[in-house]
Amino acid sequence: MTYTVQGEPGEIFDIELDEDLRRANETIAEENRRQLQKHGVRAVDVMGSIGSGKTSLIEQLVRLLKSRYRIVAFKGDLTTKIDSERIASLGIQTVQINTGRECHLDANLVRKALAKVDLGSLDLIFIENVGNLICPADFPLGSHKRVVIVSVTEGPYMVVKHPFIFADADVAVINKIDLAGPMNVDANKLANDVRNINAKTSVVLTNCRTGHGVGEVVSELGLKPVA
Amino acid sequence: MHEFSRTSQIVEAVLSEAAKDGAAKVVEVEVEIGDLTFLGLEQVKFAYKILTEKTIAKDSKLTIKQIRGRGKCLSCGHNGPLSYLDDPQFHVMFPTFNCPGCGNPLSITAGRECVIRRIRIRK
Repeated sequence: MTYTVQGEPGEIFDIELDEDLRRANETIAEENRRQLQKHGVRAVDVMGSIGSGKTSLIEQLVRLLKSRYRIVAFKGDLTTKIDSERIASLGIQTVQINTGRECHLDANLVRKALAKVDLGSLDLIFIENVGNLICPADFPLGSHKRVVIVSVTEGPYMVVKHPFIFADADVAVINKIDLAGPMNVDANKLANDVRNINAKTSVVLTNCRTGHGVGEVVSELGLKPVA
Repeated sequence: MHEFSRTSQIVEAVLSEAAKDGAAKVVEVEVEIGDLTFLGLEQVKFAYKILTEKTIAKDSKLTIKQIRGRGKCLSCGHNGPLSYLDDPQFHVMFPTFNCPGCGNPLSITAGRECVIRRIRIRK
């Protein structure tokens, strides 16, 4: 004998759901990572505020690495392709991701960008996130390394004001150190702020205009520059 | 920062679950949000009110449980709450992702949630 039990109209029911709303992005991020790994391609996500030097850092990294690695750059931007043209002028392929109004890249946009390139003929992808120290922290992309760049011209409190972005940062770059004096900002204090928040993050001081310190970023990323 | 889009995901998931169960009304929704996310709870509540207005979840109670950040130390085995650096110049306490015991890096085990735990419906 089988009994059927059902609710009466007006009766109240509790439904256990356990629906994780971050899962959608994270599942795609994991797929991206698997796809990259299948082709032996490494991806580096570069995050930082507007004007911190994300594009300049990628330009300098490309200069140091392009004869050893086959590189492509994904460039997240709200509207323009000014930056991707800057990077493309170094002779590498770029994929512009126009986010329209979105303030960060998400794993789905990166998946679409991955579909535009031939992963079989690549070694390394730089993904430049939208200029923002807040939102990208909540959206992993599937990259192998995450870099956060902060410049001394943003003032002395940029790191402590945005601790969450450093939770997953493998490398923190303190940029524009040539301007630390005129700005009256202590670059080493910014570096220590990062270490206090996350000891796992390695910190490198740079001047991305001249390339000073960028070689150290290369080794912290586990990459080898051309001898 | 993404309260409106996250909350519309919440409302969408709630309404689709409620429809599946033949609900006449959604009475209550319980979500968990980690304090390491960038979701402002007041804004989530506000967005929820607006987004449910013309649905069967109108006037339902949104209960938000905030989950504190936790981490596991890979060096000394500490497994517990993050420590917060308390600096008087700032109006919020900010977390450190280093072990409160030995200072080595922690791997984060909680605090990034955005989960719908349960919904209460009336048939």
